[in-house]
Amino acid sequence: MKVQVRVIGYLIHQAGFGEKEVDLPCPITADELLTLLGIEKSLPKFLTKNGKGITPNEKLEEGDLIVIAPLYSGG
Amino acid sequence: MKGWTGNIMRINLSDKTYKKEPYSEEFAQKWVGGRGFALKILWDELKPGIDPLGPENKLIVALGPIAGAPAPNTGKCVVAAKSPITGGYGDGNLGTRVSIELRKAGYDAMIIEGQAEKPTYISMQDDQIEFLSAEEIWGKGTYATNDWIYKKHGKSAGVLNIGQGGENMVLYAMIRSLEGRAGGRPGMGAVMGSKNLKAIVVKGTKDYPLADPAEYKRIGTQDLKKVGEIDKKTGWSIQSTNGVLAWCNEVAALPVHNFRKTHHPDAWKVDGVRLNEARVATYGCPNCTMRCGITIHDAEGHESELDYENIGLLGPNLDIFDFPQVASLNWLCDEYGIDTMSAGCVLSFYADAIEQGAIDGDFKFGDAEKAKELLTMTAHRTGTLGNLLADGSRKMAQKIGKNSIAYAMQVKGLEVAAYNCKFIPGMALAFGTAPIGAHHKESWIITYELRETKRESYGPEKAQKVIDLQRIRGGLFEYLPACRFPWIELGWGIENYPIYFNKATGLNWSLDDFWKVSDRVYALMKLFWAREFPDCQRSDDYPPAVWFDPANADTEGPIAGKVLEWDKYNQLLDHFYNIRGWDDRGIPTLKTAQALDLSSEAAELMKTFKLK
Repeated sequence: MKVQVRVIGYLIHQAGFGEKEVDLPCPITADELLTLLGIEKSLPKFLTKNGKGITPNEKLEEGDLIVIAPLYSGG
Repeated sequence: MKGWTGNIMRINLSDKTYKKEPYSEEFAQKWVGGRGFALKILWDELKPGIDPLGPENKLIVALGPIAGAPAPNTGKCVVAAKSPITGGYGDGNLGTRVSIELRKAGYDAMIIEGQAEKPTYISMQDDQIEFLSAEEIWGKGTYATNDWIYKKHGKSAGVLNIGQGGENMVLYAMIRSLEGRAGGRPGMGAVMGSKNLKAIVVKGTKDYPLADPAEYKRIGTQDLKKVGEIDKKTGWSIQSTNGVLAWCNEVAALPVHNFRKTHHPDAWKVDGVRLNEARVATYGCPNCTMRCGITIHDAEGHESELDYENIGLLGPNLDIFDFPQVASLNWLCDEYGIDTMSAGCVLSFYADAIEQGAIDGDFKFGDAEKAKELLTMTAHRTGTLGNLLADGSRKMAQKIGKNSIAYAMQVKGLEVAAYNCKFIPGMALAFGTAPIGAHHKESWIITYELRETKRESYGPEKAQKVIDLQRIRGGLFEYLPACRFPWIELGWGIENYPIYFNKATGLNWSLDDFWKVSDRVYALMKLFWAREFPDCQRSDDYPPAVWFDPANADTEGPIAGKVLEWDKYNQLLDHFYNIRGWDDRGIPTLKTAQALDLSSEAAELMKTFKLK
């Protein structure tokens, strides 16, 4: 299935891209997506699916927009 | 007493005298240092109602028991005074070698009082002070001033200085250091300028008075290295603080068009990726392995050091998405020594007021060249318009009238930092209850609100979280003082800070001991407010009204149709006051003051103000 993935902040440099459509096996969770993208999992992340916050266990679906951001704390 | 030097240097500019004054261990343990020291000194020594820009105000430079000594990121110092922009207690922290040199000179604080007859700078070498002429550099910007001082005193000196903004008493003038660092948003540079004080230069040769120097050094240097390793692993400093810009745009928290919009399709043009691509050099504070200062070339070819706050407020907030132009506006603010954040909000308010028909003018959103001209007029207080802009958005709105105060983006007179709270109630509360005005350094809870709670919630958990963060950010990190970035950006454990403190002082404090100091500091900042403003009320803790205006709701995007609600905000404020033990005006009750060991301060205040 195809999912649009947008990566924000310093995680761009871990994933190697800012935004692209990714072809993924089905079923897959947000946490498994992080592993596939090679994003360091030891630090907390802020994940959204179609504009709403999700936990790492959330299952992804065809056509979702997934945003992966560091857990910013306001400089 | 270990950790603290036990000494304060009192300097009088009027009669060119100075005096080494000891302070007690009780004072040290009650107020720790930095913001705590500065606040208590100003409470004790300032008469209520004095002119913040008169000789009776005092400028405090304050450090603490781990300041300067190597540990993650201890190269910070606090500058404080009665604020000319809010009228209450004001302060700021900045990275500077003063944190090292003043401690090595044998002092934890300076009290600078009076007013020099002519432009002056102070040179401190251990216990000796010289009052030197600054006439040659009066009227010069901060970069030229810094260079001039380095030539005379060497680059190892700790230097604080002001630009034309401070000299001309722009109410949001800053104090600058190390060519790229600035602190004291609530007009600390204007206070320095009002004293005819162009710069402070400090050199020291003594050892830090640490209780266990070998162990402190071992842990401190080891942890500094670890923080640097975490930074490299995550890549945080590749985009530095500006990594958050794309995130704010994503979650509709970016200030655009004087905060009337929350996101913009061109925001990517000034995001962290573009900042890194344009990077010319990287700078940091003493004792720091994160190095957040990224410079790029501005439209005129200057090297301009940027972070998220100044990009957000001088860029998208003014509808400017051309990075070199944003960098030019930032460079001008730095050169003049005025706060980039307030400057961005003042210019956006001016453009908005023109757009609303509240005032005549030829400045439009997106006009970077005109914005540069206006910044220059502001710093020099050129003409009626320069003076209007130099007084900040609250005073501007009072002069303009026509309910323009509703979209003057400020709290207590201090302009809002670069987070648009149109539909982020907890962060609006954080700005509203920030005791020095709308500064993000006190508390920042947007991620918590979006991740752990419902965005539309106004529940007590958000009030509690604002307080928890005030204890850490506006408390611990401001009175140690130290930079909060290792903790907030890289997850460096807050439990490490009592370790550094205990190795420095020989005490055995837990985090709970620090939280009591934090609560005491926040309570005294509000008692200070009540002493200055006996008719104070809860509306002093209200964020800008435009965030509550349904006509200002986004028409598309993640928060389309949503704004804050007054009734619910007041409920949230009540939760905050109840947890803090403050009354419905936002002032600590007598019982709370007594529980925080502020009985004598409460008794002093009750001569003119009734505590409930």
